Amino acid sequence: MGTKLNAIRRHAVSWTAMLPMAAIVIVAYLGTALWTLRISLSSSRTFPKDDFVGLAQYARLFANDRWMLSLENLALYGVLFIAAALVIGFLLAVFIDQKVAGEGVLRTVFLYPYAMSFVATGLAWQWMLNPEAGIQQAVRRMGYPEFRFDWIVDQDMVMYTIVIATVWQSSGLVMALMLAGLRGIDEEIWKAARIDGIPKWRVYASIVLPMLGPSVATVFMLLATAVVKLFDSVVAMTQGGPGTASEVPTKFIMDHLFGRANIALASAGSIVMLLTVLALVAPILYARSRARRPREAA
Amino acid sequence: MKPGAPPPRRRLPGPARLGVYAFLLCAAAFFLLPLYVMLVTSVKPMEEIRLGNLFALPVAVTIEPWAAAWSDACTGVACEGIRGGFWNSVAIVVPSTILPILFGALNGYTLAFWRPRGSATLFAILMLGAFIPVQVMMFPMVRILAGMGLFSSLPGIVLVHLVFSMPVMTLLFRNYYASIPQELFKAARVDGGGFLRIFVQLMLPMSTPMIIVAAIMQVTGVWNDYILGLVFAGRDNLPMTVQLNNVINTTTGERLYNVNMAATILTSLVPLAVYFVSGRWFVRGIAAGAVKG
Amino acid sequence: MIGPGKFCAALALALAGCAAHAAGPRAEVIHWWTSGGESAAVKKISEAYRAAGGVWVDTAIALGEQARSVTINRIVGGNPPTAAQFNTSKQFLDLVEQGLLNDVDDVAKREGWETLFPETVLRVIKVKGHFYAAPVNIHNMAWIWYSKAALKKAGVAAEPRTMDELFAALDRLKAAGLVPLAHGGQSWQDNIVFTAVLANVGGADLYLKVLRDRDPAAIGSEAFRKVLLTFKRLQTYVDPGSPGRNWNDATAMLITGKAGFQIMGDWAKGEFALAGKAPDRDYGCIAGFGAAPPYLIQGDVFVFPKTKDAQAVKAQKLLAAVATAPATQVEFSIKKGSIPVRSDVDASRMDVCAQKGIAIMKDKSRHLANGEVFLTPDQNGALADIVTAYWNRNMPVEKVQKDIAAALAN
Repeated sequence: MGTKLNAIRRHAVSWTAMLPMAAIVIVAYLGTALWTLRISLSSSRTFPKDDFVGLAQYARLFANDRWMLSLENLALYGVLFIAAALVIGFLLAVFIDQKVAGEGVLRTVFLYPYAMSFVATGLAWQWMLNPEAGIQQAVRRMGYPEFRFDWIVDQDMVMYTIVIATVWQSSGLVMALMLAGLRGIDEEIWKAARIDGIPKWRVYASIVLPMLGPSVATVFMLLATAVVKLFDSVVAMTQGGPGTASEVPTKFIMDHLFGRANIALASAGSIVMLLTVLALVAPILYARSRARRPREAA
Repeated sequence: MKPGAPPPRRRLPGPARLGVYAFLLCAAAFFLLPLYVMLVTSVKPMEEIRLGNLFALPVAVTIEPWAAAWSDACTGVACEGIRGGFWNSVAIVVPSTILPILFGALNGYTLAFWRPRGSATLFAILMLGAFIPVQVMMFPMVRILAGMGLFSSLPGIVLVHLVFSMPVMTLLFRNYYASIPQELFKAARVDGGGFLRIFVQLMLPMSTPMIIVAAIMQVTGVWNDYILGLVFAGRDNLPMTVQLNNVINTTTGERLYNVNMAATILTSLVPLAVYFVSGRWFVRGIAAGAVKG
Repeated sequence: MIGPGKFCAALALALAGCAAHAAGPRAEVIHWWTSGGESAAVKKISEAYRAAGGVWVDTAIALGEQARSVTINRIVGGNPPTAAQFNTSKQFLDLVEQGLLNDVDDVAKREGWETLFPETVLRVIKVKGHFYAAPVNIHNMAWIWYSKAALKKAGVAAEPRTMDELFAALDRLKAAGLVPLAHGGQSWQDNIVFTAVLANVGGADLYLKVLRDRDPAAIGSEAFRKVLLTFKRLQTYVDPGSPGRNWNDATAMLITGKAGFQIMGDWAKGEFALAGKAPDRDYGCIAGFGAAPPYLIQGDVFVFPKTKDAQAVKAQKLLAAVATAPATQVEFSIKKGSIPVRSDVDASRMDVCAQKGIAIMKDKSRHLANGEVFLTPDQNGALADIVTAYWNRNMPVEKVQKDIAAALAN
């Protein structure tokens, strides 16, 4: 009897602790998601409307060249950005971890872009990448008149410039998180590896990297949300151009949410993005929860 | 980097060591190039900027753009540069850092150790929520806050920051606590520790490093936030970034690039200072968590 | 936590509160005039408002979309400003239809707006017989600017008067190794060039058939095809660095004599003025080609969110009257680079280009509204997407015609 009462009390306390989060999840996240779903089925313009137009907004969305191009762009961007930011962040962390001189300075150098608003740093990137004013021009003046680096004005290459600038902005944070993970790894492992004569790169690849699993997972999650929300850097650097070549879904959603006063279409776009994320993330979450349960039970 | 005995130095041999430095210096050069452009631009007069020699050092150095950015630039009828919102930003950042961390830690602790029924589902929805752009949630949020009487107020903007930071804060602390051995928690339970006592006396002290990490992320995020402050804070609490954007952004107005660059660098000084001051803890913080993982 | 800013704000609020009777109606105004020249312009309105006995509370928010979304959010949140800036367009039509704006009919009647303002402007501010906005100025976004130095260097003797002459001049500039057309390759700037070509090559009739009537036959016509091809031909005269460039960087190319022409709104005068350049001496402005080219009308208005507070209503009416008064309109436009909405003003202090514009505006047959007056923001955006894609990519002109017809059919 006493233990049962205890159990109830235990549950009551832990549930009470979850209440703020539950309220926020239900009202703010679940609530707005459902609201957005409802709006996406209406013909709302500046303001929400109560009518029901079925899947008309979705039909319009998928008939829109710019939206389809945005999805393609984001897929390309997402793969490249996450891969590059992870690899560069990891490499920076590993190299900084070699007891180099001036570690504090280097760490700050790699981290400062994270502190700055992209409105202006994006402009600096736009200038540097501009073939008439930036790097191409400077290298040509140095005596290489054939040098070409004009990705930002090239329909097919412009997304790569967004990758470069956003990797520049994010990889410092990745480095910091990875570096912290590296610092946490037991010195004994290094000693043992040295005694066994295992090459250093192999220790990193086959022992250290797997141990960084939780850090990598957190970083991956942060980068993935950044991909889906990609907006500021595109606006600051290319405004989606040249033409519509660097358009991304969030920019499409923002444009329709505000300037184009079509919140129904914007909502449809948001729902499509959310479902895409769900489709990509749900299997991972499921697999992870399956994988963890036996271990935790043990 | 443990105190006491010097750690064994993991030095690479000569050429490899040179390679390490070569890589780091090249990377540093790449990272610093935009800052160089911004700094050089910020001390050039506009005539020089119009000529378009982006990387050239200034011929006539001027600090006027910095003065204008901080205190003189006109952004509408007021001409006070970006300094106007400084204290508003501070007033928003302090509670919007403390509260989300507190709730993040509490959520993480509950999710990792107590796991009440349904909490995993709530957490999954919260993680999904991290993928919704804040702007999409704005319209309903405005209605909700207006209904609560908190729209256009300091508590309102703090609540909004709490809502939007909850996914990341909860994720950070949940993963951190998940890496702490369950035995530790069970032992504390056996010793008769209750929910709050274990949290306050055992877990929170152990999370100091993670708290610092979270604080750095939260200070950066809230300090640089523009859109939420603009919509939810109300006229009397507008953060500094609103003025920053007023200085920088225009469609058909003229642009003073030197002032723009100076204003951006000035605004970022607060998060940069936080990095400098807490850089060591930032790194060690996560380390302490990962040790047990 | 009470910072100095908050303290001052509280003090100001308190002062405004107790001085309400003495100092007159208090107007909080949201606008996006945040750059140097724009700030100087809005200051003229605020000064005039103060001089008329009101208290001006300034809420400047950069970028039109941003400022308008704050206005809408504050209306939804129950904390509306006294007045808010919108463009002379359909942007605020939804607000009117939802009954969220106060009208300023008595000011309009008293001042005789009906006869004072151009038909195009009235079409926007007057909805179902009520006046919902006070127009501040008129911009023409389709001026053709040229650098006298660059044209001289290229041996172009006279300013072009037809599209053919423009192309001849562009060819000479190209031959002289200069950038013929300075252009910022951003969507809205591509669309300014498109609008200019549609008005100048297509003429007012085709312009209205396409943008106002959304007539599929006109969009599919040979004449419209010619407009699109001319537009695309202009693209061959821009430099490789054009995409993504800000408009003022393109203007800087005229200022430094690197480029010959730019098609841009009259706000470009501000950039020339900052660099110490004078119209007619250093640069020229062409309002359009042909005998009587249309004048494209764009501009800014104030709208007045619904309120029952008598003091606020008083403030709204006072602001509507002050913002449309002749002196305010001239002072504002001198700083802003625009021209007054009303024609009964003393324009002697305005620059040559503005005077040209005012002279053209005297001829009612030359008034032509910008596309946003006819199209919803959504349609206008869809059109802009197609235009900018066409400018930047090679695609058959027939597909462009088809896409535009589909986008405007919505």
